[in-house]
Amino acid sequence: MRLRSRFIRLLAGAAAVLAAGFVAPSADAQQRPLVWGDTLPATLDPHAIFDVPSQFVLLNAYDGLYRYQGNPPRLVPWLAESHTTSADGLTWDFTLRAGIKFQDGSDMNAEDVVYSFRRLLGMNRAPAAAFSPVLKPENVTATGPRTIRFVLSRPYAPFLAAIPLVAIVNPRVIAPNIANNDWGAAWLAANTAGSGAYRIDPATYQTRVSMDLARFPGHFMGWSHLERPIDIVRARPVLETSTRVLALLRGEIDATDSYLPTDQVERVERNARTRVARDESMRVFILRMNNMKAPFDNRDARLCFAHAFNYQGFNDVILKGLVVRNGGPNPNNLWGNPPDLQGYSFNLDQAKQHCDRARAAGAPIGREIEIHVQSELEQTVQAAQMFQADLRKIGINLRIVTNTWAGITAATTQAQTTPDMWVHWVSTYFVDPENWIGQMYDSQFHGTWKASAWYKNDQVDDLLRRARSSLDQAERERLYQQATRIVVADSPDIWVYNTLNLRGLTRRVQGYTFSPVGSGGELRLVSLTN
Amino acid sequence: MARYVIRRLLLALPALFGLILLTFVLSRVIPGDPAATLAGDAATPAMIAEIRAQYGLDRPVIEQAFIHVRQVLTGDFGKSVFSGRPVAEEILQRLPATLELTFVALLIAVFLGVPLGLFAALNHNGIIDHLVRVVSVGGLALASFWLAIMLQLLFAMELDLLPLRGRIDVALGMPPRVTGFVLLDSLIAGRFDLLMNGISHLILPAITLSLPGLATIARFTRSGVLEVLQKDFVLYAQAVGYGRFRLAAIYVLRNAVTLVVTQIGLLFGALISGAVAVEAIFDWPGLGTYSVQAIISADYKALLAVTLVVGFVYAVVNVLVDVAQAIIDPRVAEDVA
Repeated sequence: MRLRSRFIRLLAGAAAVLAAGFVAPSADAQQRPLVWGDTLPATLDPHAIFDVPSQFVLLNAYDGLYRYQGNPPRLVPWLAESHTTSADGLTWDFTLRAGIKFQDGSDMNAEDVVYSFRRLLGMNRAPAAAFSPVLKPENVTATGPRTIRFVLSRPYAPFLAAIPLVAIVNPRVIAPNIANNDWGAAWLAANTAGSGAYRIDPATYQTRVSMDLARFPGHFMGWSHLERPIDIVRARPVLETSTRVLALLRGEIDATDSYLPTDQVERVERNARTRVARDESMRVFILRMNNMKAPFDNRDARLCFAHAFNYQGFNDVILKGLVVRNGGPNPNNLWGNPPDLQGYSFNLDQAKQHCDRARAAGAPIGREIEIHVQSELEQTVQAAQMFQADLRKIGINLRIVTNTWAGITAATTQAQTTPDMWVHWVSTYFVDPENWIGQMYDSQFHGTWKASAWYKNDQVDDLLRRARSSLDQAERERLYQQATRIVVADSPDIWVYNTLNLRGLTRRVQGYTFSPVGSGGELRLVSLTN
Repeated sequence: MARYVIRRLLLALPALFGLILLTFVLSRVIPGDPAATLAGDAATPAMIAEIRAQYGLDRPVIEQAFIHVRQVLTGDFGKSVFSGRPVAEEILQRLPATLELTFVALLIAVFLGVPLGLFAALNHNGIIDHLVRVVSVGGLALASFWLAIMLQLLFAMELDLLPLRGRIDVALGMPPRVTGFVLLDSLIAGRFDLLMNGISHLILPAITLSLPGLATIARFTRSGVLEVLQKDFVLYAQAVGYGRFRLAAIYVLRNAVTLVVTQIGLLFGALISGAVAVEAIFDWPGLGTYSVQAIISADYKALLAVTLVVGFVYAVVNVLVDVAQAIIDPRVAEDVA
């Protein structure tokens, strides 16, 4: 009996201690840091990778010469106070603001900007793609302590639009960590060398698991715009969607990713402590067709497929109207679209007529068509399943193949290996039609995933190349409109919608400001209420 | 016994070498091009080709295999083609999380499964026996991702008793890293609050992960005990008047448990593979989530290393199981000798 009562006391004691452990607040908890639940990039080196998650590091730990702000995004001078362009569009001079400091306290000068661009071009990874065809490392020079000159090998109008891709890094921090001429890439993958508003704490960094950021009080833009800026941010990505939403509802995280599933929106909004920020982005959902493979080398076959997709059903029913119909390759809210552009509509009779015409012309409409979906992205599967059901009604057999982003993009380097169809989004890497129609339908980009329709039209090539090299905005607008009309008429792909970014937030998050570049992840604009 | 242990260790070596070769072959059939992934979203074909050359992916497969074996034997897993960081470093960061979860799940499975199986056998065809059978069938039939979500909804969302995700509360932060095991590091740091918080975070994922193992152990214990209960020496022990508890704990269980110990070795592998789903749902930063990310991003270096590390751990656990068996039943070692 004595043993039993001792055991019960022990159990009760353990339960009490355990319960205390669950609720015991720490000093840190009282400071209420922001817990950011969005995906982290694979590397912290801003010159090694360029994808949507890497923009979080780019915007918070680093600065660029120019930056996109707001929605629709405006390109504003950032580290640079101004720039000038020569009449031939080849020479670009930028002037740095005075008094900018890196996070280690050292002053930023023109040589640091030169080093950053040379490092970017020397490493030749993804963010360099926008510059390497027109800019050689030796053509970036410092013309004074605060002035930098870029001399392009040919006129390139999107140059300024792409400038925000490049983070200015601190060479004095990187230099001691260079090994095997790697530009310090191995070290910078898990460290920081920026001037941004928040400083990454390398000690807490674990790849794609955790990253803590502390406010940099000396940031050149200052903090007077906020009464109580956030001092500590803990980035803790949550892998599973269901867990991410539950964590938000419980208040364990303050922000989800910005692609909250539409079926979770109502749930988040019903909770008194949480809300959903809805912002029209620039991210087009597309069903690609391989125009070099039969039957998609036939225009009627492509039009048949374009009319067989139930746009309204997908956008309004499956996605609950939380997207905006987008009838062409460029996002609706970007310049360069014809004002009267009409997308294709769902009409199975019309689809059948086009298919009959294609069949009569010898296109193998009856063969099984493969559509590759990204297994981890449910919407791509839903779109393919709905399309499969509708195509069956007109006698077309669509087979859904589960794949991954890495698997599909590796296959798109050649026309023969590119799937018949695949589903993806084109996000905002820089705000210019070049990011969408320019890189998707100019045949010089064949072999990249963006140009995986393998579309070839000499007239479109000419229009896009002229638009790329012209410095006259009105002319560029006209050329892009013209190219868009031709591309839409040729129907090389099926453009479905422009994304409404949906980010779950706790109500204590104030000042959240969305921009399609960075998806609202710029922390210096955010504050917290307790 | 020493000879037996050495013999078991030597037998594990060819298996591990075979694993090194097998993982290399498997890594080459993973869909996707790691060079394209590494180059990033906006990469041109020229950039991808440059990276392919840089990582030696353009060399003949035999040459790549030879380099791979040489690197692994020197403990060099190379750099992740995704993060650019040494794979060994990333795995060392993540391995303790998986091992901690797996060990706790194994403890739950053993310390609940063995008594359940024993009681079921001692109450053959009684209510306890039927209940244990329901539990064991349910434990094997329930999908772990479903169970995980249900446990989250009940204990974290409805009752607010246990944490939803992660290894420790974000506000508390991890204890200073010594072993990478939250519980051990909390103890080393003398942080009782972190220890308790770590235990609370372990409960739901460990229960989810342990359930199939618990069911298996309970079934094996039950059948083992039932078999031993039919032996003559048990009848003799009963005849000389040994009490029910003493008989079960000392004579029956010891004879029945060798089969269960073998199962534990096999179970360890199942627990590690089961950790993939459990880690994903409970946001547990271990090798399971690391593997998922490696598969999605076609990070073959990371996948190779994870498979090898798990294979190594599995081999070590199986050697330990063999040794434990020999201790429980010395005839095992004698037979082999």
